Amino acid sequence: MSKQLKMTYSSDFLFKFLVIGNAGTGKSCLLHQFIEKKFKDDSNHTIGVEFGSKIINVGGKYVKLQIWDTAGQERFRSVTRSYYRGAAGALLVYDITSRETYNALTNWLTDARMLASQNIVIILCGNKKDLDADREVTFLEASRFAQENAELMFLETSALTGENVEEAFVQCARKILNKIESGELDPERMGSGIQYGDAALRQLRSPRRAQAQSAQECGC
Amino acid sequence: MQKIKSLMTRQGLKSPQENIHDLSPVENFRIPSKEELRELREQPTDPQAQQEIINSIEEVYFSSDSFDIVKYELEKLPPVLSLQEMEEYRDKLKQQQAAVSKKVADLILEKQPAYVKELERVTSLQTGLQLAAVICTNGRRHLNVAKEGFTQASLGLLANQRKRQLLIGLLKSLRTIKTLQRTDVRLSEMLEEEDYPGAIQLCLECQKAASTFKHYSCISELNSKLQDTLEQIEEQLDVALSKICKNFDINHYTKVQQAYRLLGKTQTAMDQLHMHFTQAIHNTVFQVVLGYVELCAGNSDTKFQKLQYKDLCTHITSDSYIPCLADLCKALWEVMLSYYRMMEWHEKHDRDEGTASSSVSDGSNVIGAEETNFDRGYVQKKLEHGLSRIWQDVQLKVKTYLLGTDMSNFKYDDFIFVLDIISRLMQVGEEFCGSKSEVLQESIRKQSVNYFKNYHRTRLEELRMFLENETWELCPVKSSFSILQLHEFKFMEQSRSPSVSPSKQPASAISTTITLFEQYCNGGNPFEIQVNSKDDETEDVLASNGYESDEQEKSAYQEYDSDSDVPEELKRDYVDEQTGDAPVKSISRETLRSRKRSDYSLNKVNAPILTNTTLNVIRLVGKYMQMMNILKPIAFDVIHFMSQLFDYYLYAVYTFFGRNDTFESTGLGLSSSRLRTTLNRIQESLIDLEVSADTTGTLTAVEERKEKVPSPHLSHLVVLTAGNTLYGLAERVVATESLVFLAEQFEFLQSHLDAVMPAAKKPFLQQFYSQTVSTANELRKPIYWIVAAKAIDYEQMLLLMANVKWDVKEIMSQHNIYVDSLLKEFEQFNRRLNEVSKRVRIPLPVSNILWEHCIRLANRTIVEGYANVKKCSNEGRALMQLDFQQFLMKLEKLTDIRPIPDKEFVETYIKAYYLTENDMERWIKEHREYSTKQLINLVNVCLGSHINKKARQKLLAAIDDIDRPKR
Repeated sequence: MSKQLKMTYSSDFLFKFLVIGNAGTGKSCLLHQFIEKKFKDDSNHTIGVEFGSKIINVGGKYVKLQIWDTAGQERFRSVTRSYYRGAAGALLVYDITSRETYNALTNWLTDARMLASQNIVIILCGNKKDLDADREVTFLEASRFAQENAELMFLETSALTGENVEEAFVQCARKILNKIESGELDPERMGSGIQYGDAALRQLRSPRRAQAQSAQECGC
Repeated sequence: MQKIKSLMTRQGLKSPQENIHDLSPVENFRIPSKEELRELREQPTDPQAQQEIINSIEEVYFSSDSFDIVKYELEKLPPVLSLQEMEEYRDKLKQQQAAVSKKVADLILEKQPAYVKELERVTSLQTGLQLAAVICTNGRRHLNVAKEGFTQASLGLLANQRKRQLLIGLLKSLRTIKTLQRTDVRLSEMLEEEDYPGAIQLCLECQKAASTFKHYSCISELNSKLQDTLEQIEEQLDVALSKICKNFDINHYTKVQQAYRLLGKTQTAMDQLHMHFTQAIHNTVFQVVLGYVELCAGNSDTKFQKLQYKDLCTHITSDSYIPCLADLCKALWEVMLSYYRMMEWHEKHDRDEGTASSSVSDGSNVIGAEETNFDRGYVQKKLEHGLSRIWQDVQLKVKTYLLGTDMSNFKYDDFIFVLDIISRLMQVGEEFCGSKSEVLQESIRKQSVNYFKNYHRTRLEELRMFLENETWELCPVKSSFSILQLHEFKFMEQSRSPSVSPSKQPASAISTTITLFEQYCNGGNPFEIQVNSKDDETEDVLASNGYESDEQEKSAYQEYDSDSDVPEELKRDYVDEQTGDAPVKSISRETLRSRKRSDYSLNKVNAPILTNTTLNVIRLVGKYMQMMNILKPIAFDVIHFMSQLFDYYLYAVYTFFGRNDTFESTGLGLSSSRLRTTLNRIQESLIDLEVSADTTGTLTAVEERKEKVPSPHLSHLVVLTAGNTLYGLAERVVATESLVFLAEQFEFLQSHLDAVMPAAKKPFLQQFYSQTVSTANELRKPIYWIVAAKAIDYEQMLLLMANVKWDVKEIMSQHNIYVDSLLKEFEQFNRRLNEVSKRVRIPLPVSNILWEHCIRLANRTIVEGYANVKKCSNEGRALMQLDFQQFLMKLEKLTDIRPIPDKEFVETYIKAYYLTENDMERWIKEHREYSTKQLINLVNVCLGSHINKKARQKLLAAIDDIDRPKR
């Protein structure tokens, strides 16, 4: 319901986000938890790419996240790669109970930096935090990895309990906002993955136009 | 004397004693003197004689008192007096007197003792009497004394006694009155205890009682007071009646009904009751909505209380919309349930009473029974009439609420939840009074259309985003992929299973004959249960962004899951990475088979070609179809929107890959008029062309713009200009074939869509299929034409052809090099095609079209080249044939396509050279496929050899003739 409430506000920015990582790490569940505030316990492998969007409030600014949830399976790589371009942020997800998914992180990281942008803001998410008993990757180890790789942000999340899920998205968005404010990122640049939202457009363009825009804006 | 005589006569009859006794007390008759007695004794005592004498006495003497014997005797004397006679007569009288005297004396004597005796008795009697008189006198004297002493007191006493008795009576009355007065208290007590019939009974009794005391002045006061009380009772009763509306209680209602019956106001009660129900409905909904509005407003602002219900409804926030609706329905349910139970009560009551009255109906209460019958009839009618009125009220209230909020921004599941509630409510309505709930249906239709419009707009925007991000990569799915495996189409599997027909629903309805009213009669609420089961029921329908979770889908993809977990990893060796379909061996067999069919579907089985976006559209179609199932009334709108999804996809594919102004104008009829009409229609109805342009201008109806989406842009990642990829052929194939696939899916769904479509709107669907869906594969032509046109350098060939000398004088045995160059181009095309097909399966129709286009273009270029020839000999013409034969021969090795398209076009043109004048004229008229330039050139080339100038003029005129109507 709170989502709906936010929907009535217009957004200041629109960020393109990616969720990447090996198959079975819980990317779609993270997204579902983020958007629906529910855990999807009977989830299947994603085919190709799916999509979700949500407006969040970051430091008083409303940011609409356009999130592409990619399939982790190798065969979809060619399909999913095409969605990398112009992403402003990414959640790089691994499964703390599976070292294999952790080991693949470097490849994912390279892919993301290469296909999306060098400036892409990435947050590392060690998912399935609730399955601590089966942990194969320690928090320390992963945070070291994050530090070594251009200071990725890092969080351990649980799509099951919802712990740190919203935080992951919000932190990522906040960092992008900071970068915009510091001038490090230029929203006007092509392929930045950032667009002015309709609220910002309202100031930029004629009010009538903004109205038409807001009318097109709605709950996704 | 007379008396004596009578005495004497009587003597014979009675005893002398009695005679004397008889006489003595009464008369003091003269006692005869002694002398007389003597004289009498002297007389003969012959009684006989004496009796005769006595008898001879004139009767006169025995007469009564005042008889003057002397005068009688004197008057009797004759006028002539004779002494003798007189003497005699005197003797006779004397005798008579003597006899009488004697007789008297005898009688006296005879009676003497008796007389004495009697006298004595008289005397003693006299004494006794004197004594008695004394006693009497004494008594009287005493009595007087006593009288003096006693009477006054006793009278007083009696009077007092009587007074006392009166007072006792009065006291009784007063006591009763006092009780009457006190009953007031009791009455209010009874009212508090809600014992209305008792109170009324009591009150009526009091009134009756009071009327017997109406001679007391205080009673009138009491009476008016009782009247007041009675009115008060009625008021209270009315209040009690109004309580019925919200919470029906059998005992309570029975009491109230009894009370009204006592008052003789059963009918009024009914009228009143219906008013209460109307009021209750209004109050209930108002209170519920007000509660939520105030709760959400967060302040105790009272302004809301003054608002109209309708305005109040607009203050509901979307957060509270659903709980408020649920509560609203719950509350209304309670009101309706009360009504339902009330009716039930009446039915039961009527039955009971019917049996009771039929058994007792004799004589006296016939009138009463008639009256109650009439009442019952009235009540029944009123109740039945009330059903639909109440339902109408409920509907209107809910409608106002429903339409008070713009639900277009609701989440899908929330919206469906609202629909669920309303359909439940409509079910209630159906059960309540058999209503079809037109009001609700209409309002839910309105909201649904509105909601769905908005939903659809978002989806279209999303689709645009998908399209703009789409790099037209093949989305790898199994060759056995079917949309029915998708979660979104699960519902079709279900509906197809045993019986497709809609008869399924009523059947299930019959099996659950228990109505909601029966089910929830004793508490509980049908709208309560909904809230609880909300999550379970709606969860899977929503899955808004395709977080599928379905066994079926799993089975469709599970073989792809190989790289996710270890067991799958092990299997990997046996599973083809690309298709995951079957072990390697069978793949190769499959591949061989497919190689036969087409050179370009090499290492892939005939898995459907589709993209991520295609899947997205298909999923949306599935969701839309589910929507249709839920929202039958707006099925048409949904299908209309669904058609827009297809339209937009088609339009995007066309604008991305098929639009090419230079080729469109060549007039080769690449896109059929049908396709062009369709594209124009889509552009007009769906595409917002103004977005790209500056928007400060024209306010072309924002509403209209809302319905439209901007034209999508092709992702920058897709490169359509590189020759070595055959100008993005892979992407073009994926895009076009995915569209064809999508069209096939639509074809597949046609019968399902048709089934839900209202009859009146079926033409729309037919039109959509015949004019849009079926044009999907026609897009292949313009899209692949672009590739074909670019893939081979026709210009280069024209240049090479221009260098050839055609006016040769001998038959050549060697073909010209332009043929080799053209064939080289074709070989390169073939190679590239092969390369592309390694990335993407190129279906046979596609490669055929590509080859056809290329060959056609080549042949046309050849004809164009031949038409550029200035001079030509018969031998040159033969060379042309040789060249073309060479071309055909080599070409047929490259492609399977037969016959070679436009082969006739070239051959006919070459051979036309040999025609005589007349034949050529006819030929020109018959072959309009050649351009004017080509025809003119043909005539000109022939000029030197077998066509003279005159003939040429005639032929040119003929060309001109056929040319004209062309323009």
